[in-house]
Amino acid sequence: MVSDFVLLETGLFLDTHPDNEDALAFYREYLKMRKEAAAEYAEKYGMLTPMDLNETGTWQWVKSPWPWDIEEA
Amino acid sequence: MWMYEKKLQYPIKVQNPDPGIAKIIITQLGGPDGESGAAMRYLSQRYAMPNDMVRAVLTDIGTEELGHMEMVSTIVHQLTRNLRMSDIENSGFAPYFVDHTVGIYPVDASGVPFNAASFQSTGDPFADLNEDMAAEQKARLTYDNILKLTDDPDVRDAITFLRQREIVHYQRFGESLEKIRDGLNSKNYYAYNPAFIPRPETK
Repeated sequence: MVSDFVLLETGLFLDTHPDNEDALAFYREYLKMRKEAAAEYAEKYGMLTPMDLNETGTWQWVKSPWPWDIEEA
Repeated sequence: MWMYEKKLQYPIKVQNPDPGIAKIIITQLGGPDGESGAAMRYLSQRYAMPNDMVRAVLTDIGTEELGHMEMVSTIVHQLTRNLRMSDIENSGFAPYFVDHTVGIYPVDASGVPFNAASFQSTGDPFADLNEDMAAEQKARLTYDNILKLTDDPDVRDAITFLRQREIVHYQRFGESLEKIRDGLNSKNYYAYNPAFIPRPETK
């Protein structure tokens, strides 16, 4: 997910520039996008983390594809 | 505490098997400048680090390195799918195959298993952060050398991403070193260990 990478990279910048207002605003903007995208992903494709249980009635954590085999699935 | 996200940091889709280059690339999992050593180095160094910003840098980069272990493992895994026995015999992969088949095990390119002696956690922020900056450069160099050894666009795409991360991490560790230096007082001009001052002996 693109927003995840933006957040990781901006977060790392904020570690050494914790009062940078532009970076904080940028982080907030992408955090909002990330939350929406993650909720949509969990609904459509299953769990990204154990905190993403959806309403399908099965523990989707055990379902393929796992990340290292995405293309074969 | 950590929580797993069921995804790679950067997508990897290697179409063509190539066990020969897999045996080279696995050094970035188990070799002296690989991602396993990087993750353990940074996550271990946090406890003696006397600066909150640098604690955050070590936590976040150490965590990202765990994701890079998964990326390197994925590249090797995808390069060793659907092999013929002749692929294994003719590629230099046989010595790895005899011990590990196509399982993922942390070794360097010569087959030497991962060794924690390839990194340090000294308890001295200056020693540690200088090591961290060197480690990022050494990992960048290893990725440069891997890029010289393969034309496969799928592999090069993922390796190029990992190489770029080393450069960003080097920058953040450089800033971290400045933070520690700025925190010294006038009595510590020569940057001896600011993280450990022995408690006076009592009778």
